[in-house]
Amino acid sequence: MASVAAWLPFARAAAIGWVPIATHPLPPPPVPKDRRRAEDEKLLINVSGRRFETWRNTLEKYPDSLLGSSEREFFYDEDSREYFFDRDPDIFRHILNYYRTGKLHYPKHECLTGYDEELAFFGILPDVIGDCCYEDYRDRKRENAERLMDDKLSEAGDQSLPQLTDLRQKMWRAFENPHTSTAALVFYYVTGFFIAVSVMANVVETVPCGHRPGRAGTLPCGERYKIVFFCLDTACVMIFTAEYLLRLFAAPDRCKFVRSVMSIIDVVAILPYYIGLGITDNDDVSGAFVTLRVFRVFRIFKFSRHSQGLRILGYTLKSCASELGFLVFSLAMAIIIFATVMFYAEKNEQDTNFTSIPAAFWYTIVTMTTLGYGDMVPGTIAGKIVGGVCSLSGVLVIALPVPVIVSNFSRIYHQNQRADKRKAQRKARLARIRIAKASSGAAFVSKKKAAEARLAAQESGVELDDAGRDEDIFELQHHHLLRCLERTTMCDYSKNDSIEEIITKNC
Amino acid sequence: MATPPESPVEEHAYELEPNRTPKPIPVALEELCRQTKFTKQEIRVMYRGFKTECPDGVVHEDSFKDIYAKFFPHGNSALYAHYVFKAFDVNCSGAISFRELLVTLSTLLRGSVYERLRWAFRLYDVDGDGAITRQELGEVVVAVHELLGRRAPPGSPAARIDDAKANEQVDRVFRKLDLNQDGVITIEEFLESCLKDEVITRSLQMFDTVL
Repeated sequence: MASVAAWLPFARAAAIGWVPIATHPLPPPPVPKDRRRAEDEKLLINVSGRRFETWRNTLEKYPDSLLGSSEREFFYDEDSREYFFDRDPDIFRHILNYYRTGKLHYPKHECLTGYDEELAFFGILPDVIGDCCYEDYRDRKRENAERLMDDKLSEAGDQSLPQLTDLRQKMWRAFENPHTSTAALVFYYVTGFFIAVSVMANVVETVPCGHRPGRAGTLPCGERYKIVFFCLDTACVMIFTAEYLLRLFAAPDRCKFVRSVMSIIDVVAILPYYIGLGITDNDDVSGAFVTLRVFRVFRIFKFSRHSQGLRILGYTLKSCASELGFLVFSLAMAIIIFATVMFYAEKNEQDTNFTSIPAAFWYTIVTMTTLGYGDMVPGTIAGKIVGGVCSLSGVLVIALPVPVIVSNFSRIYHQNQRADKRKAQRKARLARIRIAKASSGAAFVSKKKAAEARLAAQESGVELDDAGRDEDIFELQHHHLLRCLERTTMCDYSKNDSIEEIITKNC
Repeated sequence: MATPPESPVEEHAYELEPNRTPKPIPVALEELCRQTKFTKQEIRVMYRGFKTECPDGVVHEDSFKDIYAKFFPHGNSALYAHYVFKAFDVNCSGAISFRELLVTLSTLLRGSVYERLRWAFRLYDVDGDGAITRQELGEVVVAVHELLGRRAPPGSPAARIDDAKANEQVDRVFRKLDLNQDGVITIEEFLESCLKDEVITRSLQMFDTVL
């Protein structure tokens, strides 16, 4: 309410308009007792050496923050008659502007966590950040949170390494992180090898080698070396089945595992073999049998467990589903339009390929993707014009959603790269931090020992120089505390262990 | 994918807002002090608040309504603010300069009872024709009630009771002010009836105190 204090006289004046219609006399106004208080005074705020001055009314606009309430009196310095805060003066500038103008801005070059801490100190909610800066703030906050979550997850993952005694859990961990043990690594490479072998066998099976005896036409290798390929296939399927069953056994949540994409791929990869075993070499169903063999190519998707890039690609496609959907939809629209026009343009041409609109679909697709096989070409002039327009528009329609998909992929890929790099650097960083902490701990311990030696010397009456006299009282009290602890636990504050480890040792 | 704006191709460069009205020349402090009955310090305090809210030196009706909304947060102050703005805006320019504001405030807070009543008459006379009809008075009374906010939802029996009370108040006041019962209140009737009424004169003197 203090923000409009200056307009109060005007509001009171406008209240004169109520007087003629009031039925009873209006109450008398309050008289301020202390005339000095009614006048505004300037407050001096010293933030780490930079001085700010403002009216008291400005600060009292927001009474639920530190500066607006009586909490600021805790920071009052009697000698210099100012309020002193040992905080960042650059960020304080924005906070004070919030009091002055009512709008809190977020400077882009400041670190988000530092800014948040200042706001929390001064009792201001981040929600009051003005609309101009709020979106930026929210984006950076989300990025930060994601990054911290990544770190925390990887930390949790690393920490859960020991303590697994259950065979199931060990197996599951071996499957998910092959780098944890040699056996897991061997298993990982063996399965990878067999996937490759199986896919290669599928491919080589169809290569022609030699001629059919007594008939024209070539003989594919698959039929010539039927037994060899059958054995190879059986071996691969054995391995894959064993792997799938082991994974199913080790999975902590079997229902979730069965529903996951990778397990479905596994099942689809091995099922055709078993179905093929069941079907005899009968002509009626051999067509279906051949179709089933097509599904064997899905084994190649098993590689996505081995390749992170493949997983990222899959994730990108999933996250760009709407863009892809738009692409497909707009293409379908364009195909139908152009096919219809082409058909009606070419209908009456002699020996035309454009026998129906669906037949023209093929021409339209080939033209829009700028393939241009040339198996169907327009004959009439109108058809040629339409064909030209079709190929030009095809380029445009396809080029539009592609950058969106590409940028999505790039963003996710880089995020993953960053996460991996951070994980690799973490170990080195933590080691360096540990060394720094140890050295400061060692310095503390040596100081403590020196203080004790001095005390012992004082007690025994030995004269010593005043070199160590200017130790401050806090350090002395801290040493005293540690000495009490040593006396209580009958242990020594050695420089290699930390205090917590001393406490956990049963002394 | 969200729908794009209607005409994304329009590309006029965002020039700074051209001055629609010529900037009012700021009046010197001494002159204001002479023209009004306020002291220098009081004018300074008021100008600081004025300048924070309206940096370009004039108050428009929207700012007026915002300020009123801050004073009466529970109700709908837009109606009453509109009437007050009209009453303040002496030359009907759509904007009130600081000088106009201060001059009117001076008559209201430091002027005589006559001047205040004259201003109240201008407030009630919505169309400015020199006479207050019952309808105009009713509008102003409704606006004043709106300031407090409707406690009952519109259309409910409680709201109807509120409306009836307001209507009755309007009738009562109109009958008291309209001396010759001709259906309109002229300025002379208004002044005469108000000056005779002790309640009104006493209430008006209430505003004589310090800012």
